[in-house]
Amino acid sequence: MELGNGSVALAGGTDLVPLLRDRIVEAETLVDIRRIVPRGVQGTTIGAGTTLAELEVDPEIPQALREACSLAASPQLRSMGTIGGNLLQATRCWYWRLKFPCFLHGGDRCHARQGITREHAIFGNERCASAHPSDPAAALLALGTTLRTDRRELPLEELYRLPTEDDRNVTALEPGELILELEVPRPEASTYLKAMDRTKFTFALVGVGAARFPDGVRLALAGVAPIPWRLDSPDDLERATPLPGTAFKVELARPLIRRALEAVG
Amino acid sequence: MARLIKTEKEVEGRYTEQWVVVEEDEAIDQWPQGPGTVVGRPAPRQDGHARARGQAIYTADLALPGMLHAAVLRSPFARARVTKLDLSRALEAPGVVGAVRPDDCHVLSLEPPFHGAPVAAVAADSESGARAALDLIDVEWEELEPLLDPEEAVKRESLLEDPRRYERGDLDAGLAQADVVVEAEYRTQTVLHNSLETHQSVCRWEGDTLEVYISTQYIWGVRDSIAGKLDLPPDRVRVVCNFMGGGFGAKNSPGDYTYIAIALAGQTGAPVRCALTRREENLASGNRNSTIQRLRAGVRSDGTLVALEGEYLNAIGWEGFSGPTYGPMEMLYACENVRTLTYGAKLNLPPNAAFRAPGFVEGTFGLECVLDELAARLELDPLELRRRNHADHDLADGRPFSSKNLLECYRRAEPHWARREEVRASSNGPVRRGTGLASQIWYGGGGPPSYAWIRVGSDGRVTVVTAMQDIGTGTRTAMAQIAAEELGLPLDRVRVELGDSARGPYASISAGSSTTPSMGPAVRAAAADAARQILEIAAQRFDLEQRVLSLKDGNVVSANGGSWPLEEVTGLLEDAQILGKGARGPNPTGMRVLTFGIQVADVSVDVETGEVRVDRIAAIHDVGRVINPLGAQSQVEGGIIQGVGHTLTEERLIDPASGTVLTQTLDAYKLPTIADVPEIVVELLDIPDEHLTNLGSKGLGEPPIVPTAAAIVNAIRDATGADVRSLPVGREEMLRALAEAREREKRAPAPA
Repeated sequence: MELGNGSVALAGGTDLVPLLRDRIVEAETLVDIRRIVPRGVQGTTIGAGTTLAELEVDPEIPQALREACSLAASPQLRSMGTIGGNLLQATRCWYWRLKFPCFLHGGDRCHARQGITREHAIFGNERCASAHPSDPAAALLALGTTLRTDRRELPLEELYRLPTEDDRNVTALEPGELILELEVPRPEASTYLKAMDRTKFTFALVGVGAARFPDGVRLALAGVAPIPWRLDSPDDLERATPLPGTAFKVELARPLIRRALEAVG
Repeated sequence: MARLIKTEKEVEGRYTEQWVVVEEDEAIDQWPQGPGTVVGRPAPRQDGHARARGQAIYTADLALPGMLHAAVLRSPFARARVTKLDLSRALEAPGVVGAVRPDDCHVLSLEPPFHGAPVAAVAADSESGARAALDLIDVEWEELEPLLDPEEAVKRESLLEDPRRYERGDLDAGLAQADVVVEAEYRTQTVLHNSLETHQSVCRWEGDTLEVYISTQYIWGVRDSIAGKLDLPPDRVRVVCNFMGGGFGAKNSPGDYTYIAIALAGQTGAPVRCALTRREENLASGNRNSTIQRLRAGVRSDGTLVALEGEYLNAIGWEGFSGPTYGPMEMLYACENVRTLTYGAKLNLPPNAAFRAPGFVEGTFGLECVLDELAARLELDPLELRRRNHADHDLADGRPFSSKNLLECYRRAEPHWARREEVRASSNGPVRRGTGLASQIWYGGGGPPSYAWIRVGSDGRVTVVTAMQDIGTGTRTAMAQIAAEELGLPLDRVRVELGDSARGPYASISAGSSTTPSMGPAVRAAAADAARQILEIAAQRFDLEQRVLSLKDGNVVSANGGSWPLEEVTGLLEDAQILGKGARGPNPTGMRVLTFGIQVADVSVDVETGEVRVDRIAAIHDVGRVINPLGAQSQVEGGIIQGVGHTLTEERLIDPASGTVLTQTLDAYKLPTIADVPEIVVELLDIPDEHLTNLGSKGLGEPPIVPTAAAIVNAIRDATGADVRSLPVGREEMLRALAEAREREKRAPAPA
């Protein structure tokens, strides 16, 4: 079975099924990839089909990723959702989910920028103010993860791209390309902190992944840009371009980043 | 003999005069205070297992033979004109049997005035078929400019009713006497009921009778509304609701979905279900409207409130009602000088609906926060400030209260309030802890007409028959307890048949905290009528005087020690039955029947990230006699959890440009999860209201949600010094209030 041309890969389905139901994703055929994509952890290699529930309890997994998994969604969803699918999940932007003809859907403007934006971006938001919802993606970005697909290897950072006039995708995957494995370096210490509206079961307003390596600390944020966002240093936060409704996210990120840095030493 | 009298009836603060036939209600004395044999003792829900096992049949579970499913075309625009509506392609789709347009059904409109307003509907043999057919409706819209801003609506005089003005005393004179005056603007958001069971009904014509199976809080109101609209004799409309998955005020009337189902059932000759999806539920099934409250309060240095002023703006939506946001300000305290002005803005937004203590939840938030601001300025204990302004009669008209034990609630709150030193001291680094409180006032007296019948079988088992509804609160069990107590029977020998307008007498609405105080006295009167007949029969059978006989533990017992199982007496009749009937008596003349209480909240606030956690809420309420302490506790817990959602996370959001409802799904509209639920301590005074009916019970559905938001926000102020001004207290509001408090501190450092 060939992916693309109307067929769509299905693993956990926790994001895909709602998108199909809302007809944001159209598929003639669903291809069950659960027996094709590796599942489980071998040393520093994680099969893309491993569920979040499996990762959050695995002592071999760096703490940032375990915490990010355990703070995501609900136990039911984490038992279904896979780490590969999680990296590719779509934004929760209500304009996009309600199918406003917005920039991300191929339209000429971002409806959020003049609208209600409390859950939206403070970085990379000039054309599209959506926020990337994945907690594990920010943790994995901080951990310096590399992906192996059925076609190539690429750093996680290169999986993501801001949407442009010519290409509204937020990932660089080719049609039909599958993420198979994640190579996650072992840090000296790592953590993931998340601020959200409820205690559980809601997407990040701001998530902060931090990982200490011999050559320094890597930082990445969830919920602040259309894609998971690397910060070269905490001072990069001052370069944020918040919208009126998202200015509080800068204030919120500041103590979280400080606490994450303190936690990894 | 039946006596016809007039009495006053109140539902959620709206008073009407009501004719009522009184029989022997006055002859029945209230039971003594304290637990009886069954009443006042915790009883698990009689239908608990059936509900948990999925055996209880809700409207959502009904599958009538040949039933069709409706799907509704709703306006995607906040205001539009339909310029073309052609249903012919939809009607040709596989499985589609019928379709209706505005000419066919009065709830459909070619000029939809809010996002989600119904325009057309189709019926098909499957729900998915009906939904797919909606895409085949050929519709063209002309989008029009919506009016979304409530302040703009007031300017343009787009109001649902004339502004309401109230004044007592002399406000300006009161302000002149004040040593401290606080002025503040408070805002509350729009919140959604989100009952587990969405709004829905199944409608079917059976001969000349229309059957309506519906998730409703008011079987008889639905019957009368439909009969009136369709010009049918009311008894030709049968309304059924056996089990219900929540209403919270939004299911008091038939709703557009029922009229759509009726129209499609009429057109197709088949039963038709019209059930809202979760998205439709979050669009167009009612809401608690947002408010803007501009408040001013003046107090003398001794703590006497001398002036209260409120300008309230209820952002109602296209239809609905302007709730009593002003109520707490006018009723809670003994303030002589009060002035309120209330606007109800008509907007191109989905209509509001009653939502658990409508108006009072919002108004209590503003008023009780202002009280704490005054207490802080006076450096007076907030509990003491409330005590000093206790009202011992209704200040509006001088009426006495039928009962009021608010001071006793305050006394019972003291140990919880005294913990605040310890709570504050447990602050740790950026996590500051504090305690706040707020008072509660609300209605809840119920009223006539309400009727019940009791059937005692030859086996000594009892059935309570009344066409009331149990909306999930556990009133079914409470009614069984009342009958069991009166008949001296163990609870498991009493069952309750309810939920069908064709099978029982008229019963009241389950809204306004009125079910128990309306229905309970009728059930007790019916049980007393049956008990009297049983004792009359026993007296003759055993050749004893009736006055020495009573019913106890399933037996007829005599004062001289004789005891006969009830079934020995009733068994004499073989298949004949003893029938008792009872009616709710009048409300006490010239008295104000209200409920009271106080809640004390402990919170933790991370002053760096703005995270708020509610750690504990102690709820002390005065609602008269408690029938089922277990059910009552569950009601209080539910109200507080809903209040925590209202305070911290829930908000319906509207796109300011288009008027589109953005929060249509439960990831965007954030109800609290179990992890957000604080420790809840429930204390009910359980003091019967001696003036109110044969029970002395008031309602409890609404009181527990009334003070929760103010108690939490006052605790936040205690913990951090920050003045939260608007709900929900999301991170942005909390961080704003914290920053404001830091600025204030910088300008005027607190005395050491």
